[in-house]
Amino acid sequence: MFISDIPGIGGSVDMIFKILVSIGFVFYIIFAFVIVKQVNKMTDTLEVGLEKTLRAFALLHLLFAIGAFALALTIL
Amino acid sequence: MPEVYVSDLPNKPQSSHNSRPDVTRHRHLPDKKALPGYTRSRVAAYCYYPDHVKFVGADSQEKVVLLLRRHMITNLGWIVTSILLVSTPIVLLVFELLSFVPANVLLVGLLFWYLITFAFILEQFLSWFFNVYIVTDERVFDVDFIHLVYREMTDANLDQIQDVTVRVGSVIRTVFDFGDILIQTAGEVPQIDFEAVPHPDRVAQVLRELRVEEEIEKMEGRVR
Repeated sequence: MFISDIPGIGGSVDMIFKILVSIGFVFYIIFAFVIVKQVNKMTDTLEVGLEKTLRAFALLHLLFAIGAFALALTIL
Repeated sequence: MPEVYVSDLPNKPQSSHNSRPDVTRHRHLPDKKALPGYTRSRVAAYCYYPDHVKFVGADSQEKVVLLLRRHMITNLGWIVTSILLVSTPIVLLVFELLSFVPANVLLVGLLFWYLITFAFILEQFLSWFFNVYIVTDERVFDVDFIHLVYREMTDANLDQIQDVTVRVGSVIRTVFDFGDILIQTAGEVPQIDFEAVPHPDRVAQVLRELRVEEEIEKMEGRVR
């Protein structure tokens, strides 16, 4: 039996949990965006030949974060 | 230090990988692959005459002689932490310690956990990869990225270098041949530290020879 199964408070707990997760993901997406900017700044400062790969990783990370946020909103 | 130029003699052997690099002679060698410490790897901690390195603040005629990072072994801490972060949820799932969590919450939780883990690994790698020390034929650079977006870049001309100290402290550093190089300068920044760089003696030797070459250029009036 889960907390959400308890009559009366189940819906509220679900809603609070969903809001907290959403806030967490929003902050995380901002953080992922900062990483993208940081990688751009770093690769502008020093070029050794891995710039495209690192930028791709940072962008991929941001896209995964957005995707996970969308998934969380859908299934929670 | 005139003995440095003994290396210009044509009969000096130069085949061993561990032999000291001879900057004054290597600079004009066409075959870079023959240089001790030369590597084509983009993620090496010690790159002697690296290919295709460009950085902010470099002059167009400036040649990069050394690109240094902290020794690979210094990454061991965060690599072990990353392995633990990756394996923890797997262990919890295998032993069914998360069975009380609803499936949708578990999925979102796992996604979030692995996103944070990925960000941690990326951050640690970026921090190691971009915190570099660069020695050119004119200057030494210390490039530091602190926190997420703060960049600090310190440089000093070779002719401003007053003293170079090599510090190899512990057993691990001796075994893996890495240490700190403290460069005291007459510039605005009194000291530039190269921390935990591989082959510190070689680096000091390269710096010594570059300084001597700079002195010769000054005397000959070839200063850029």
